[in-house]
Amino acid sequence: MTMDSPRMIRAWQVAFIALGVLLLGLGGLVLLDVVKPERYPGILLWLGGAIILHDLIIAPLVFGVGLLMRRASKRIPLGVLMIVQGAILVGAVTSLIVLPQVLGKERVSARNETVLPLDYAGNLVLFYVVLAALTALAIVVYLRVLAKRQNTRPSRSQT
Amino acid sequence: MATVLGRLLGIAFLACFVTGILSHYLQEPLQWMVFATRPVWLYQISQAIHITAGILCFPLILGKLHVIYPSLFQTPPVRSIGHFLERGSIALLVAASLVQITIGLLNTYQLYFLFPFPFRQTHWALSFVVMAALAIHIGVKLPIIARYWRKKDSYDDDGTVIPLDDATDRSQNPERPEGATIPDLREPETTGVTGRLFRWIDRAPLADVSAGQARTSRRGFLATIGVAATALFVTTGGQSFRALDATNLFGPRKQGVGPNALPVNRTAQAAGVEESAMAPDWTLTVSNGETSRVFTRAELEALPQFEVDLPIACVEGWSQVASWKGPRMKDLADAVGAPVSAAFRATSLEQKGNYAVMEMGPEYVRDELTLVALELNGAPLDIQHGYPARMIAPARPGVLQTKWLSTLEVIA
Repeated sequence: MTMDSPRMIRAWQVAFIALGVLLLGLGGLVLLDVVKPERYPGILLWLGGAIILHDLIIAPLVFGVGLLMRRASKRIPLGVLMIVQGAILVGAVTSLIVLPQVLGKERVSARNETVLPLDYAGNLVLFYVVLAALTALAIVVYLRVLAKRQNTRPSRSQT
Repeated sequence: MATVLGRLLGIAFLACFVTGILSHYLQEPLQWMVFATRPVWLYQISQAIHITAGILCFPLILGKLHVIYPSLFQTPPVRSIGHFLERGSIALLVAASLVQITIGLLNTYQLYFLFPFPFRQTHWALSFVVMAALAIHIGVKLPIIARYWRKKDSYDDDGTVIPLDDATDRSQNPERPEGATIPDLREPETTGVTGRLFRWIDRAPLADVSAGQARTSRRGFLATIGVAATALFVTTGGQSFRALDATNLFGPRKQGVGPNALPVNRTAQAAGVEESAMAPDWTLTVSNGETSRVFTRAELEALPQFEVDLPIACVEGWSQVASWKGPRMKDLADAVGAPVSAAFRATSLEQKGNYAVMEMGPEYVRDELTLVALELNGAPLDIQHGYPARMIAPARPGVLQTKWLSTLEVIA
């Protein structure tokens, strides 16, 4: 890729932005064409709601948890902290995907029993258990490797 | 790091966009469009990619937003008109992307009654908005993306990320005219309360952070996103990939669950055909202008029967291969002397609904695998699967595999 020259970058920038503006116009036209105007407030509500939900609720929450854990990191090895933090994030993202199924199952399955046919709440608990077990295993392995490394090279700090 | 995640996210978005366009035009073809009927799993794989990539967008986009979250609080919030437009385009990108993947996911759970707007139309229109905002975003950020595209250009010898101003210096082109200024691409340092907060967060516990630790931290974060994506793929992929059926914990569909061992999209109750489909005097009318033939189910059974294995692949992403049996569509077309180039319109007993009427180009009508199916997986069609007769054609969305057939007519 010959992206290194500023002139080339400038040209590509203009091309991308022009494409974007064009697509935006197209998107607007499609919206006007296929969605009735009385539905626009609903779409705007969801677009605004997505920003508020993420930026004011989810992100500060994740940031807060991360902050607390980083404060705790004086005592806990960084690697262990990251494994735990990672596991919490994996659990949280999965919960985000699965919770609508747990909440919606009854209503949806009453209409059509082949939609949401599984025991999502039970499976989520199973997922948490497996996740916790794998996390514990990862921590044990990590600490063993760390100890071995520090035995052989005691001068090096943990990374 | 934002570049690394952005790249993956860009690929996932593009995959969703391309497969989405295919799915859209399969359902609403333009006049001149002709579609491939082979491989028979074309739509199955296309829609599986659409839904799987869409699900994987959740960890990717949340990770990406997490990385860039601090720049939400930059002060001053707006520095110029250009900066305002740039931030606006990012807000649009974030909002449209989040809504797009969320309604997509909820639609696969058939929770669409939650939306104050029609799903398919909104999802279609928003797809252009997302791609538009993405193109603008890539355009604006191109110098940064180009700078950090390759790993070897991104880190110094200790493994520390090279800050952008050094980077710009290094990539200076000697041919650049004298006097041209390098735009300052750095985000201005956050000031005020939030700025102080962020500095406190950054300083306090990790004051003596080494390059190695920072690298571990970056890698750990990417590994987390990777693990989350893998976990979601393994636990939901089973709805479209047979190999993942055993670990299907969170798929909204389960292969083999349903009448005739196959899931159902639209039920007979929802379509309002419980009586008409079971009526003893049901017939299928096939017509070509003035010529028309009427078949009872017994007469359809008396025609040469063929057995084919074809996937039923729903727009909602789940799919399953099933065994279908019945007369060939092309034999019925020939029975009324339809020309080889004729397209057909199929009408269901369904009174209301977007898919009560389906049109089918000659590429499907003349395909040997296209059947008017009477049996499914070795038993007569269940009413939920379209009894007395339904269409099954290769490489088409499930919503076009019209159930409870009533008439087939040549489109003049």
